[in-house]
Order: sequence, then structure tokens, then C-alpha cells
Amino acid sequence: MVRPAVKRRLIIAQALLLAGCGGIQSPLHPAGDQAGALHGLFLLMIVVCGGIYLLVVFGLLWTLWRARRQAGAASADDRPLDRGLWTAAVVIVIGLTVLIAGSFLADRALFAARDRDALEIRVTGHQWWWRIEYRDPASGRWIETANELHLPLGRTARVTLRAADVIHSFWVPNVAGKIDMIPGRRNLIDLTPRMEGWFRGQCTEFCGAQHAHMAFDVKIERPEVFDAWLVAQTRPALEPADAVAARGRAVFAGPCGACHVVRGTAAAGRAGPDLTHVASRRSIAAGTLPMTRGGLQGWIAQPQALKPGTSMPQVSLSPADADAVSAYLAGLR
Amino acid sequence: MIRVPQIVLLALCLAACSKEARSLGPSLPQTPPAADDDPRIPAYEGNFFQIAQGGRYFAWYGCAACHGETSPGVLDLADGQWRHGGGFAAVFAAIADRHGRLAYRARVPAEQLWQLTAYVRDLPGHFPEKRRRTDLDQQAEPRAATWSGPQ
Repeated sequence: MVRPAVKRRLIIAQALLLAGCGGIQSPLHPAGDQAGALHGLFLLMIVVCGGIYLLVVFGLLWTLWRARRQAGAASADDRPLDRGLWTAAVVIVIGLTVLIAGSFLADRALFAARDRDALEIRVTGHQWWWRIEYRDPASGRWIETANELHLPLGRTARVTLRAADVIHSFWVPNVAGKIDMIPGRRNLIDLTPRMEGWFRGQCTEFCGAQHAHMAFDVKIERPEVFDAWLVAQTRPALEPADAVAARGRAVFAGPCGACHVVRGTAAAGRAGPDLTHVASRRSIAAGTLPMTRGGLQGWIAQPQALKPGTSMPQVSLSPADADAVSAYLAGLR
Repeated sequence: MIRVPQIVLLALCLAACSKEARSLGPSLPQTPPAADDDPRIPAYEGNFFQIAQGGRYFAWYGCAACHGETSPGVLDLADGQWRHGGGFAAVFAAIADRHGRLAYRARVPAEQLWQLTAYVRDLPGHFPEKRRRTDLDQQAEPRAATWSGPQ
């Protein structure tokens, strides 16, 4: 018998476990066609393997019970045993056939979007951030952003995955399965989101010291909201709002512009993330810090302390210059 | 049973790992080398990780556009001949101050200049096979301002 206090704790623990399944980074809470197909396959495996487990336990208990009843009286002609073995064999074959069929159907569902007209996206894995580019349907140009993936609800996005340095892996568990990004190769993945909201993607192939700090935010939004966002991303950067921000832009063009691009200014480096609309994003440095002016200034002042090993160098700026640069970046919406 | 030569070999292999050691964290040089015997130099010149990082920044900043493998005369960094001196401090100063309007001392942080200097001074010792492998490793990495994604 279970005491009431223990029982209550068990119920709370179960509720917490179930709540953990509803997360923004969970394959058990599918928000896309591809994740839905994989989730269905997962449930089928649980049912079939659970059934086989129960069958094995039942067979074991049955054998023990029989052995105790007929102790010492073994005979060569044992009809119940024969029948039991044949039943088990047939059930196993049926279970495996169901699993193979389920796997085949899930695979078909994953590739079902291949014939559809899709939004083209390129994602490149870098140590330790994501370069994300959208093909502008009107002009055919590529529009670059970083560390934040926006997807239109109900429309398939075809993502080309590449890597610039080592092997990374692209996974948005709520929307689809994971696929590796391998230097020198292009892998394709289709994402068909079905639920609005913010989700989280994460690199899932160990890629160096800051592998854990290689995440990205995923926003699934209505098509008209997505279109407005994409149009905003194509625009050059906003002009500085005040004198401090204007000083920030001038400082930024020097040391920061060697690696970062802010379209419409002298900063045109290609090695680091595109910062044209950096303040419109939710986080800094691939999910390391939340996007605030303080976060930006802290990241500029001590990137090696916040994300040891990052390729973002520590730039020696005077406090006034660092303040101006963070004010400028915080205004780039 | 493990014999003595094998133990010695294992110990040597382990000792070699220190050449790969990397220090993560905020303790970085903020100033240029004082002279060719600056005590901070061995941590860069004797460390493969720092030299390789120099190679990555060499590509990212677009140095290879002028200092390629087939560049002639003074642009060839691998021929072991230095117009302004081949010591660490001299090469550092040449990178930082002798590139005209590119003004690397103002645009490139001190630690990256240390890594670039270590890489450039290491170049004369790169045999062709090593160069080929470095090129392959860096094939997909960003290069200068005209780069448009890994090919």
C-alpha cells in the first residue's frame, strides 16, 4: 500500500514529466508534418515493443507456473508448449511486419513534400553559429540573417544544409528530424510547420568547445506576417537614431566591420554573422544571451568569458566607444 | 605484457599533446610583442592550435587574395625572405602597420595579430602536402568580402 504523501508526490512527478513533453524543443510535441510522421512511428514502436515485452513476461510466468505444477513429469509430446511457441512466433512476425510497414510509411511521409513548390532556405553551420539565407521569390537574390529561422505556417520550406568548418547537425525537434551538415556536401530537409509559435533548434553533432551554445530560435508565423518579416530583412540597416548611435556606426565600421556586415554601411566583412537587423532577433551569439543592450555590450566587452573559444575576438574599445557600438546595434531592428 | 619501448612511445605521444593545448578564457595579449624574445611568443609559435587559428583568420580577413601560394616576390610569405626582418616583433609590425589603408592595427584585435604572426612565420616550414591539406580543411570557410557561402 502507498502512503498518501508518497502518492501525492508521485502524481506531481508524473505531471511534471508530462509537462516536460510540451516543450519548445521536444519531438513529443510535434508542430510540423515531418515531426508528426516521426511521432506516429515512435508511438507505434512503443505499442508494438510494449506488446512484445508483455508477451515475453507472460511466457516466462507461464513457464514457471507449468514447471512447478508438473515437477519431474516431463514428456516428449507436449501439445500446450508447441501451441505456445507457434503463437509466439506468429505474433513476433506480425509485430515486425507492422513495424516495417510503419517505418516505410513514415519515410514516405518525410519525402512527401519533395514534389511541392517550396520556399528555399540555405543554412550554413559555423563554429558556433548559424548563417541563414532566404531566396527572395521576387528578385531571386539571397537575403542573409543569422541564428533565427522564420517559417511560414502551412508552407513547405526546403532547407539546404551546409557546413563551413566541421560537421554540425540541424535539428528543430518540434518540426522535423535531424540531418547532419557535412563540409563539402549539401543535404536537404523539408519543413512543413503546422503550429504557430516560438520553438528552438540546436546543433546535435558535437562540433567543439561551444557545441552547447549553438542554438537558434525558430518562429512559425502566419504567411502574411512572414512575408512582412522577409521584406523587412531585405532592407538596408536603419540610420542611427542619435549622435551616440552615429558614433557607434563609425566605430563599428573599423574593427567590427572586418568580419561583420551591416548592409548599407561601410561594414562588409563575411566571416561573422550578418548584423543588419540584429536587434530584431531574440538572442545573441546563437542562443548564448538574450537580446538586450546590456547583453550586446557584455558580449562585445568579453566574448571569451561568455563563450570561451568563440571566434569572436575581444576588441579593445574605450568604454565610450563600446557604449556607442551597443547603442547602435540595439537600434538595428 | 607491455614492453619498455611501447611505454616510452606512449609517454612520447602523450607529451606531444601539449603542442595542441588551447587556453580558453579571457587572458589574452592586449599589446604587441615588445621584442623577439617577448615571453608570450612561445605560447603562440610553439602551439599548433594558435597557428591554425592564425590560418583561419588569414583566410577570413582575405589575406590570401594578395598573399597566395603563387604570389611573386615580396608577396610570397613562404619563401623565408623578409624585407622588413623576420623576427616575431618585426613580422607583427609589418602586418599591423605596413598595409596602408587596410590599417590592420586598428581593425584586427591584438590576439588575432599574434595568431596571424605565428601562422605567417610558420609558413616557410609548410611542405606541399601540409599546404594541400590546409587548403582542403579551409575550403568551405569564409574568405574576404566577396565570399558567398561554401561551394
